[in-house]
Amino acid sequence: MHQATLYFRLVLVQLQSQLQYRASFVFEILSTAFIVFVEFLAVAVVFERFEHIKGWTLGEVALLWAMVEISFGLMDMLFQGFDPPVFAEKIRLGTFDQLLLRPVNITLQVLASELELRRIGKIILGIAIFFLALNLTDIEWTWIKVALIPCMILSMTMFFAALFMFGSTITFWTVQSIDLLKILTYGGSYLMTYPMHIYQNWMRRIFTFIIPAIFLNYYPALYILDKPDPFNFPSFAPFIGIALAAMMLLLAYRFWIFGIRHYQSTGS
Amino acid sequence: MRLFFELSKLHFRQQMAYRTSTFSNLSVNFFFGLMRIAVLLALYGERESVEGLDLVGVVTYLALSQSLITFITIFGSGDLMRAVYSGEIATQLLKPMHYFNYAMAEDMGRSMFNLIFRGVLLFAIYDLFFKVTYPANALVWLCFFASIWLAWLISFAYRFLVNTSSFWTPNAKGMLRFFFTLSWLLSGFLMPLRLFPDWLQRIAAFTPFPYVLDTPVEIYMGLRSPNEMLESLLLQAFWVVALILLAQLFLKRGTRRLVILGG
Repeated sequence: MHQATLYFRLVLVQLQSQLQYRASFVFEILSTAFIVFVEFLAVAVVFERFEHIKGWTLGEVALLWAMVEISFGLMDMLFQGFDPPVFAEKIRLGTFDQLLLRPVNITLQVLASELELRRIGKIILGIAIFFLALNLTDIEWTWIKVALIPCMILSMTMFFAALFMFGSTITFWTVQSIDLLKILTYGGSYLMTYPMHIYQNWMRRIFTFIIPAIFLNYYPALYILDKPDPFNFPSFAPFIGIALAAMMLLLAYRFWIFGIRHYQSTGS
Repeated sequence: MRLFFELSKLHFRQQMAYRTSTFSNLSVNFFFGLMRIAVLLALYGERESVEGLDLVGVVTYLALSQSLITFITIFGSGDLMRAVYSGEIATQLLKPMHYFNYAMAEDMGRSMFNLIFRGVLLFAIYDLFFKVTYPANALVWLCFFASIWLAWLISFAYRFLVNTSSFWTPNAKGMLRFFFTLSWLLSGFLMPLRLFPDWLQRIAAFTPFPYVLDTPVEIYMGLRSPNEMLESLLLQAFWVVALILLAQLFLKRGTRRLVILGG
């Protein structure tokens, strides 16, 4: 309980400083939303000409898209402290050492050290795209399908958070953040905004068996949209996403703790 | 002029220091290229050609535009903004060279490096994995090279102009993000401009953005006749002049209201 209050206190300080310049803060949110808007618009207007992408309509792709934007936005806002370049800066400047000296849980401190409120813009646009998806498709809702929506968001949030945490932990040894990981974070989020069967086999297999991304967005969406599974996975495939993501986050957390134990400061 | 090229060379060499980041950058770029190609090929489906872009054409368009990302700095840059907020601008303005030229020389060195060690290399990698086309004759090559340098000038002047907003606001980040994102949409970076509906193509034509990416790529692919190429180059030159004048004007106005606190 004490930890939770402390987290909110620390975060509140962050928020107050971000809200200091009201006008520029509003513009920060708008410009963040604008990125999502523009990226989606470019694809939406091109759909007019092509009508579908390997059997999926714009509305159906919009469902995938919305889930990714909301989850990534949520994760990016809450886990900004674990964004590898941001975290690497803390290692390089030695501010991470300061956090270690305080008698408070270190994970909580890193979490509370950054919170970018402007990501709300991304989340709001994600919700807008979700409503567009509802409008363009006629999904026959059941309780299971309704329950799948928050599960998808939660599992993808955990998935991206795990990747961030993993990336930050690596910087204990490399000091610099490893750009290559962007293939999994930003690349992964781009990948998941489209139905997985459009990719080449080798690429899809990597994101099925090595990084289980396919079960977080594509399979639940297949279930919600009542589409047949082109890869003949067992029928429980749409429901394992949350367990896989939780496992990934747990593994990343273990690795993070391992990293802290073996951390040697840069001495700067 | 000599000073200009010396400065460029210096920044070119500076980029050499970041070899591992070049490797990462190439990999990430290539991965995104793979996905973008997959998306467009999936959209094409059974179609063989859309709006004069066949399958090889669309792959070439994407491969070339991915290869030019760092050369024309499509994601934007914030050098001037950082210099204004840190106060460093004060010493830079004192240098015996006009600040605009100084910044341009710096940017040119970086872009030259990115053209050779990222652009050419990336395109060669795309060529290994996909079928891409090369210009049909020397005239097209020539126009293409003229066009990418004009594109770079437009990009530099535009980025500089957007950055001058930091003279007026205490946090220009949102402003930069907004104006750079706008250029992604209308330059052909997110989708080849030809595939957009007419109304959006018409809007784009009134902005400098297509001339930053779409124009050189289309020239390269031989989608424009000699007359059209000449017209494109002239329009690019128009935007170069217009944007450089605007950027200079805003720099002048901005520095007039600049207050530097000693420290």
